[in-house]
Amino acid sequence: MTSSTQTAMPDSLMADSRAGQGETPAVRLTGITKTFGDNMVVQPLDLDIRQNEFFSILGPSGCGKTTLMRMITGFETPTDGSIELAGSSVDGLPTRKRDLNMLFQSYALFPHLTVFENVAFELRVRREPKKDITRRVQDALDLVRLGDLGERKTDQLSGGQRQRVALARAVVSRPAVVLLDEPLGALDQQLRKEMQIELKRMQRDVGITFIYVTHDQEEALSMSDRIAVMWKGRLLQIGSPQEIYDAPATEFVASFIGSCNIIPAISAGPGNAPTVAGIGEVPAVEVGAAEPVGSHVSVAVRPERMSVSASAPATGWSTTGTLTEAVYLGHEWRYGIRLGSDAHVFTTVPSTQLGPELGALRTGDSIFVSWAEKDARVLAE
Amino acid sequence: MDRFLGWVTKLVLVFLYVPIVAVVVYSFNASPRTSSWEGLSLRWYVELFGDGPLLKTLQTSLIVGIFAAGLATAIGFLSALALTRYRFKGRAFFLGAIVLPLIIPEIVLGVALLTVFGSSGIKLGVVTLVLGHLIVALPLTTLIMMGSLSSLDPSLPEAATDLGCTPWQTFTRVLFPLTRSAMLASFLLSFTTSFSNIVISTFTSGVGTTTMPLRIYSMLKTGITPEINALGALLILLTLVIIFAVGLQQMRRILVGAEEKDQAPDAAPDTISLQTATTER
Repeated sequence: MTSSTQTAMPDSLMADSRAGQGETPAVRLTGITKTFGDNMVVQPLDLDIRQNEFFSILGPSGCGKTTLMRMITGFETPTDGSIELAGSSVDGLPTRKRDLNMLFQSYALFPHLTVFENVAFELRVRREPKKDITRRVQDALDLVRLGDLGERKTDQLSGGQRQRVALARAVVSRPAVVLLDEPLGALDQQLRKEMQIELKRMQRDVGITFIYVTHDQEEALSMSDRIAVMWKGRLLQIGSPQEIYDAPATEFVASFIGSCNIIPAISAGPGNAPTVAGIGEVPAVEVGAAEPVGSHVSVAVRPERMSVSASAPATGWSTTGTLTEAVYLGHEWRYGIRLGSDAHVFTTVPSTQLGPELGALRTGDSIFVSWAEKDARVLAE
Repeated sequence: MDRFLGWVTKLVLVFLYVPIVAVVVYSFNASPRTSSWEGLSLRWYVELFGDGPLLKTLQTSLIVGIFAAGLATAIGFLSALALTRYRFKGRAFFLGAIVLPLIIPEIVLGVALLTVFGSSGIKLGVVTLVLGHLIVALPLTTLIMMGSLSSLDPSLPEAATDLGCTPWQTFTRVLFPLTRSAMLASFLLSFTTSFSNIVISTFTSGVGTTTMPLRIYSMLKTGITPEINALGALLILLTLVIIFAVGLQQMRRILVGAEEKDQAPDAAPDTISLQTATTER
C-alpha cells in the first residue's frame, strides 16, 4: 500500500493502520483526502477497519472525523483516494447501494411513522418479503429492549428510547458496517454510561462492524477494540485503548487522552536520556523516529505514574521540585509541583497511601519526584 | 376595558362577515336590481345556469387556477428544497428573484408580460394566463414550503438515502408525507390567488379565454345583476365544502402553518437539546 508518507504517524505505528495478510478488512481507505475550497479537512490517509470490530475515530470537533465518516457512507465524495467495503471498491457508488447504515447524531427518526414502521423502513424500501419484515423488526426491537413499544409514535419516546429505535433501524437489515455519529451526545450523564455498556453488548450480539465517531475519550476508551486518534485532518495514532493510553505516539495524543504531564526537554539522540532545563538528564523511552540531538522534545508522564516523597527514595532516579499546591479531592490528593526551571507538573496520591511525612509538607517545601523509565516517553512536538 | 375590547371584536367580526352574508341573502332576491329587496326567489340561480358565456369563464378560471396552483406548488417545493438544503453561490439572489414579484406592482408585471408575449409571438390564452398567475403565486408557495422544510431535521433525507431510498422514494416516503399540509396550503393559496386575479389576467387573457373575474368586472358596465350574487353564494358554498373535506383540524394546522408545533409539547424533555446539536464539518 502506498501514500503513507504524508501522515503524521511514525512508521512503526503505521503498521496498525493495515490489517494482516489474508483477512479482508470491513473498510479499507487508501489515500483518502477531502478538500473544501482551500481547506484540506482530511489529509491523505490510509486505514483498515477489521470485520466485527468496535472501531472509534476520536478527535476534537473540527478534526475531520465527521467528514471522514460521511465519505465512507457516501454523503461526501472524497477529493482523492479510494474506499473499499468488504474487499470491493465503492467509489462512485451511491449511499443507498453501500452495505452500511448510519446512526445519526439527531437520530433522524421519521416523525410521521411509528416505532415499528421506522425500523421496518429499510426492509420495505428494499422490498423484503412481508412475512419476514414483521419478524425481523420484532427481533431488532427485542435486541434494543423496546419489544413492546412498536406502535408508539416517535415523539412519545424519551431520548434514550429514541436512540434505541435509531439503533434498531440501523441494524435491522444486518449491514456489514454501522457508523455512529456521536450518538450519546444528547443524553444525560447517567444514560450515557448505561448506553456505553449497551452499545458494546449489542455490537457483540449482532456481530457488525461499528465505526464510532466521538470527541469523548472516555467513551472511546470504554467501548472500543481499537481507536484512531484524529487531529487537524490527520490520523495521529491507531491502537487498542491500552496502547493509546500507555504509549501515546505524539504530544497531542498524550494530552487529549486522559491527563498527562508534558515536560519540555532537549533530545540527546537515540539511546541517551533527554535533558530537562534545571534538572539534567531524566529517564525516558524514545519512541518512533529518533529526534536529532539538540532538538526540542517533550517528556510525557501520566500523573498517576509519578511518585512523590518527602525524602529521597533509597534507590533509583529522583529529582527535587517545589510543592506549589496540595488539593484534597476526597479519594486522592492532587499535588502541583514546579520542576527544574520552567516545568510545571501535577501528580495524584491516593488518600489511603498518604504517609505522615508527605502529609506534613506545605506549599513552598521541597518534594522528591521520581518515575520509572518505561513510564516516561520522549515525544516530538 | 374588557367590555370595550369585546365590542370591538364583535364589530370586526360583523364587518368581516356582513358582505358574505349579504351576498348569500341577496342571491335569493326576486328583484332584478341589487339595491332593493322584493322577496324570495331562485330566479337568479336558474339564470346563472342558463348563462353559457359566464359559465365558460368560470371553466377557464378553474382550469387556469388548477394548472397555475399545481405548477406553483411543484416549483415552489423544489425551489424551497434547494434554498433550505444547500448553501450554493447566488442563493440569496435566487431567493430574492423568486420573491420579488410580491413587491412589484401587478400592473407593471402585467404590462411587462404583455410586452414579452407580444414580441415573442406567443398567442394569448390559457397558457399565458397560467404563466402570468405562476409569477404571482410562486413567491407564496416557495415561502410556505421553505417554512415547512426548514423545520425538518436535515438528516431525514440523508437517513432515507442511507436506508436504501432513491431520490424519488425519499420524496414519496419521507418529504411528501412530512410536508403534505404545507403542500395543500400552497396549492389552495395559489389557486385562490389565481382564481381571483384581475390585473394580470387583463393583460394575459386572449379571445375566448376571459376569466370569471374579468367577466364580472366587465358586467359592471352593462349593469350588474343578482346572478352574480348567486354565483358568489355558490362559490362560498364550494369553499365551505373544501374546508370540511380537508378537515377542520387540518385546516387550522395549515392556517397556523406549523405542523411541527403540535408535536413538540408531547416530546420528552431531553429531546429538545437535539435541535441545537450541531454537526461538525
